[in-house]
Amino acid sequence: MPILEIKNAELSIDNKKILKGLSLNVNEGETHAIMGPNGSGKSTLSYMLAGRDGYELDNGSINFENIDLTPLSPDERSNLGLFLAFQYPVELPGVSSTNFLREIFNSRKKYLGENELSHLDFIKLLRKVAENLSIKDEMLKRYVNFGFSGGEKKRFEILQMALLDPKISVLDETDSGLDVDALKIVSEGVNNLKDKKNAVVVITHYQRLLDYIKPDIVHIMSDGKIIKSGDADLALYVEKNGYSEILNEKS
Amino acid sequence: MKKARNDQFFSNLEKFVNKVYPNQPQRKPYLNLKSWPSPRDEAWKFSRLGNLARKNILPLNFENQQDFNINKLIKDSISLVFVNGKFEKKLSDKLLSEIVIEEVQIEDFKEIINKFDNLSVKNHPTLNSTLSCSEKFFKIKFKNDIKFYKPIEIFNLGGTENTSIHPFIFIDLDKNTNVQVFQHYSTYAGLLAPFEIINLSENSNLEIIKIYDDKINSHNLSLTLSVIKEEANLRSFALIKGGEFTRSEMHTLLEGENSNADINGIYLSSGNQHHDLTSCVYHNVPNCKSSQIVKGVLGEESTAVFQGKVRVEKLAQKTEAKQMSRAIMLSDKAVSNSKPELEIYADDVICGHGATVGELDEDQIFYLSSRGISKQKAKVILIDAFLNEMISLSISDKFHDIIYNKTKTKINKLLTNEYE
Ligand SMILES: Nc1ncnc2c1ncn2[C@@H]1O[C@H](COP(=O)(O)OP(=O)(O)OP(=O)(O)O)[C@@H](O)[C@H]1O
Ligand SMILES: [Mg+2]
Repeated sequence: MPILEIKNAELSIDNKKILKGLSLNVNEGETHAIMGPNGSGKSTLSYMLAGRDGYELDNGSINFENIDLTPLSPDERSNLGLFLAFQYPVELPGVSSTNFLREIFNSRKKYLGENELSHLDFIKLLRKVAENLSIKDEMLKRYVNFGFSGGEKKRFEILQMALLDPKISVLDETDSGLDVDALKIVSEGVNNLKDKKNAVVVITHYQRLLDYIKPDIVHIMSDGKIIKSGDADLALYVEKNGYSEILNEKS
Repeated sequence: MKKARNDQFFSNLEKFVNKVYPNQPQRKPYLNLKSWPSPRDEAWKFSRLGNLARKNILPLNFENQQDFNINKLIKDSISLVFVNGKFEKKLSDKLLSEIVIEEVQIEDFKEIINKFDNLSVKNHPTLNSTLSCSEKFFKIKFKNDIKFYKPIEIFNLGGTENTSIHPFIFIDLDKNTNVQVFQHYSTYAGLLAPFEIINLSENSNLEIIKIYDDKINSHNLSLTLSVIKEEANLRSFALIKGGEFTRSEMHTLLEGENSNADINGIYLSSGNQHHDLTSCVYHNVPNCKSSQIVKGVLGEESTAVFQGKVRVEKLAQKTEAKQMSRAIMLSDKAVSNSKPELEIYADDVICGHGATVGELDEDQIFYLSSRGISKQKAKVILIDAFLNEMISLSISDKFHDIIYNKTKTKINKLLTNEYE
């Protein structure tokens, strides 16, 4: 069953074409990796999926479980089960992390027609989930992402993913800024959430993440398009030889 | 309808004073102000009184017949109720013996006023009108043999659209006392001109929280003069949300070493409201600290101004003075002005100031929405965060929720109107 179908997506920012006919299909149970040189449009793709203002398609379509995503706002897309772990998570000074997490958890529950948790039950759940990601209580008392280290921010993204239990998660360079141990913890966190019904798309520059989160399909993106797709070996090839040969093949 | 002249109120006032207090010459000098400050007057440039000048307002002079519901914010506080500017004993809580309310005369506090050697204070419409026509001048004295005072809540109520009311209060703290005062301004007055004097003796602490929530046709020109002695600490916080025009003006004189003054505030402005936080802090001695931090949220066609002045005398070395203003604009028709002024004659001082005006951050709204929160809710969360930071910084923990809840209805109104 397809979860996400992107067809011929074209998108421009300030009249500059960034996505130039990108297509991608992701099915239930799959893990995809997207690699590609800086500036090829990977983060743009992720914002486009999440429905950021200014990232509307010029052409093409995006469907999520056969629902047209294009008219939907970011919160509606999130409610359907789409999650984006940001490459650069946004700081929210004055917004307590715990309150924020409870807010997003309960609004998801409400959307799903499930019971919201009481403050106490939520705190219990949060402790457990946070512990699995080696997130200290102290961090949850701080403001959202405010003064977090690079690695802490990335862990906090995965914590949100765990609480929201999305159908499809797009992780934009979640591995950058993580030390070796944190990389392992975060990857395990992602793997634990993975099941036959959901899907993960990881955007990364490095094979070391793919050693933990094993992709079924690897895509190479360049200049606003996916120019090559293959199995996990494609990532190993890129790691060894860089992009130049693949890019040359195409041109 | 006949248009009132710019000095109509002042001639009404003069007639009133001559008639009601024929034998009180001490009031006469304050009748020397004959018209409203003009926009050319630097202190009133951003807060124009044209609408007020066009009203034909008379000092209110009838006995209160009405009954009022007194809604205290704090269960165990002591309420003092002023209706039409007059102290209403029957509506107030019974006073404990340690709090003394006494009637004083102008001579008893004139010395304090004279310390403010400043033209804009000396010719201030509130100071002049209230000293010339307020029926009684009350002083609340907090004595130093008492370890613990319950919070005081002062309520200013009453008024009618075509009258002015003139409450006066002198808050006097003895050495080593700790006091918390809430001032509620919730009147119907065409003009409310509350004049307050605060005297903090050595090592005393006053936390004063002013909630300006007058009815929509009111002009509130609140004026507070404070004198702070050694090691004493004034923590003042103004929440402005009501009235057609509300100005909270505070002049604070640090005259004892190691004293501290925080003159902070929040304004929440909608419709055609005009809100003004004006503060002058005078550092006259070394080793004192002050902060003037103001945050605001403006919607629709509202306007607001923060005027913050710090004056550091030559003697006042090692002064630390901080000034900051931040405004969030929810509408492109709203206008926010900020006028910082530093007058520094000492060389060893740390003074910081900054001002920002802007919309809510789009990246932050997107981040919240991407987690399933509606845009509207995201804005509420971000404004709450903006105000919460300010509230936690400015007032005691135990009052946070009370003040936070006071902002809530106004914020919801501001955001609802934005979507209409
Ligand atoms: N707001 C913007 N205005 C103009 N150009 C933009 C904007 N955002 C992105 N771009 C451009 O779009 C292109 C794609 O950027 P994007 O961030 O999607 O790349 P990326 O593949 O994620 O790169 P990286 O690997 O460095 O994260 C770049 O050329 C970038 O400069
Ligand atoms: Mg990127």
